[in-house]
Amino acid sequence: MRLGRYLQAFSLVALAVLLAVALTYKGLGDLPNPAVRDLALWYLYTTLNPEVPNMTVMSPEAVTAIVWDYRGLDTLFETMVFFLAIVGALAIMRGITLNEGGEGLHIERYGLSLITKTATKLLVPLIIGVSASIALHGHLTPGGGFQGGSAAAVAPLLVLVIFSTYYVVFKLRLSELSMISLRTLGLMGIYMTSFATLILGLVIGVNAYIFQNMPKANAFIGLPPALGGSLISGTLFFFNLFEFFAVAAGFTLVFILLSIPEVKAREVLKGEEHGH
Amino acid sequence: MEANALDQALMVVGTVMIVWGAVSDLIGALGMLRFPNFFVRLHAATVGTIWGAFVPLIGVSLFAAGYEGLGFYRWFMAGGALVTAFLLLLLAPVGSHALARAAYRSRAAEVKPKVVDFLEEFVKKVMGGENDRA
Repeated sequence: MRLGRYLQAFSLVALAVLLAVALTYKGLGDLPNPAVRDLALWYLYTTLNPEVPNMTVMSPEAVTAIVWDYRGLDTLFETMVFFLAIVGALAIMRGITLNEGGEGLHIERYGLSLITKTATKLLVPLIIGVSASIALHGHLTPGGGFQGGSAAAVAPLLVLVIFSTYYVVFKLRLSELSMISLRTLGLMGIYMTSFATLILGLVIGVNAYIFQNMPKANAFIGLPPALGGSLISGTLFFFNLFEFFAVAAGFTLVFILLSIPEVKAREVLKGEEHGH
Repeated sequence: MEANALDQALMVVGTVMIVWGAVSDLIGALGMLRFPNFFVRLHAATVGTIWGAFVPLIGVSLFAAGYEGLGFYRWFMAGGALVTAFLLLLLAPVGSHALARAAYRSRAAEVKPKVVDFLEEFVKKVMGGENDRA
């Protein structure tokens, strides 16, 4: 017992010392070619710069500009990966649902104490507000659709734990189906936004690309950088908006699935075993 | 000159509160390690959240309000810290309440060593008494 404690302390100290040594002496490996640094400078130079009209994204937030414009296709596929993960969760949990049996249930008896419930009621609007600001200001300040959506999903998660699953499904009507619908709408919005400039170009009859945001040298068309005097950076605002809904609904869906009582899940599994 | 004196006072009070917060966090951490059961350890944890987070956040708010070097943005920092402190003051007790209630009702945490447990006595007297009479 004593020896074990000494070993623990020794291994922690050894880890700290080794990490320090490793980081001091080439722990990060060889530094990249200095020529690469010009790339970062180029992003910072062009991200919000009306003087280079065919290069700029018209967004002061360079990270969002890179994520949804410079390498936007990459982010689209990341969104697809998340979408497929949710589809996988739905496939595993198929048939296991709370969509019926809410009548005669004393929902208010479930959940934690009155103090906790009252505090949650105060907190949930704040969480929604902050997450909406993270998402909708994603093209202006650090943040974005995914971050805002994940933060927003904390609100239903809190309600799930503190008011019970039944409250969420039968009182708030945040059923699995409505979450799937909201998520699909968000994804449709992302598709529409990525095709928006192309469709605009086809209608007008000029050259345009999929996923195009601002005008380019051989495609003079683009989405407006500002709307009603406030900067929206073309597609970035819409991508963040729709991604916000898609991610928030996706996470909420998984949380609802995970919080379904084991008894319900067992019923479905047993039914399958008996060939129903 | 008077405004400067006020700024200096704000910064001194803010610094004292931040240092006091650090000391409280240390005391809370010691309590977490040394206290004998869940409920007193929870007390140590809340020393860390109220004295160790709420108080220094108020300190940060006062410091930012008094530090002219930050320019106009000091009011953003002061306001942000104040709002965070207020939310923490509101929500930290709720969290520890939920933890304590769950631990007590599920009997996951034994009250030992025990000096007095009024809730247990109450439950015995009221509920137990009723059951006896019934």
